[in-house]
Amino acid sequence: MIHKLGTIRSTREGFERLAQLWSEAAPLFSRGLELDLSECDFFDANMAAPLGAVLALIADKFNRIEIVRVRPAIESVLRRNGFLTNYGYRPEEDAGRTSLPFARFQLDDERLFADYLKRQLAGKGIPRMTEGVGKVSQQSIFEVFQNAVTHSESRLGIFVCGQFYPHEQRLNITIADAGVGIRDKVRVYLRNGQVSSEEAIRWALQGGNTTRTGPRPGGVGLKFLHDFVERNRGKMQMVSGDGFYEYGNGCDTLRQAELPGATVNLEINTADTQSYRLSSEVTAQNIF
Amino acid sequence: MPETITQEIIVRVFDIIGSSLGVSSDDGQKVHDKIAPLLREGQKVSLSFDRIETIISAFLNAAIGQLYGEFPEEKIRELFNVKDMSPEDLALLKRVVDNAKLYFKNRPQFDQAWQEELGREE
Repeated sequence: MIHKLGTIRSTREGFERLAQLWSEAAPLFSRGLELDLSECDFFDANMAAPLGAVLALIADKFNRIEIVRVRPAIESVLRRNGFLTNYGYRPEEDAGRTSLPFARFQLDDERLFADYLKRQLAGKGIPRMTEGVGKVSQQSIFEVFQNAVTHSESRLGIFVCGQFYPHEQRLNITIADAGVGIRDKVRVYLRNGQVSSEEAIRWALQGGNTTRTGPRPGGVGLKFLHDFVERNRGKMQMVSGDGFYEYGNGCDTLRQAELPGATVNLEINTADTQSYRLSSEVTAQNIF
Repeated sequence: MPETITQEIIVRVFDIIGSSLGVSSDDGQKVHDKIAPLLREGQKVSLSFDRIETIISAFLNAAIGQLYGEFPEEKIRELFNVKDMSPEDLALLKRVVDNAKLYFKNRPQFDQAWQEELGREE
């Protein structure tokens, strides 16, 4: 099968195109997929994470994948971040060290992910931020990763990719999984088979809500993330099934297909110099 | 009920998880499993975050949040405290503690309220 993938930006349209790719290729079994990028005239580097998740699902059904007719500028971006080297392309040196390379982690690779982040965030705006903001930025990224570890059931792992834009002082990082998706988890938890993807995302973002049951509480991570993005004047997108959420613009629906698993795209404003401390009257002594 | 033992034991997170990163629920569980038996014996515990660089909510939920399902708030206040935490981490801990109190008190009501808002219960 040949699939022509259009321009992929971190927008609803970009995710819609990835969902369409999955929708068309999902029935393939032990066949070949030729992903033709000749009509793709821009590719946001971080979007290699959800594309990687979709392609892993396709490959999992014994399909051979080739990525062909990639325009030179896009080829360069996707070789620099290591994505295309998974598909037989030569690596290209990232001289400016602005990319957070494409990487795939297993669900129990939390410490490998921590090493990745430590290595890759160095020199990408984080040190220029005040210590507190740098710390909270890293916490936010870990929260997204841990959320995928806890909830995704993604047998094929977790896919990470990012890009630092020094002039804009923005750091984009995207974490995607190939798991069950937010809607199914919320449907099972609420015992309500009619919850839509959009409603499930809205539910998950509400502080205190968690599909976790048992003795360990949950429902803090995504709210923390949401509040961080608000204060940092960053951006956040969350996509799962046909639900598309964008901080500031609320929820929307992918119109033609569903994206498997869940993807969170975080854009951090690295020029932020605000304090993320508690108000002074709360101390370690009176927190409990 | 056992009497409170006045001398405080310092439990060091770094020594339990062997890392400066508290970024997984499983590591949080290890910390919880060290603290909970001490509290059950009425022992005062101070949890030290010395040398811990990054923590996330899932870690704190497992380490500390779940104590609210096992002990009354008053007992936690009386016996437990934290030290060597950065102001940003204290802010996160406050969220976790406030959430844990609600989680163990109001969970069924929360879920019911959402069922009603979604309005299409099966």
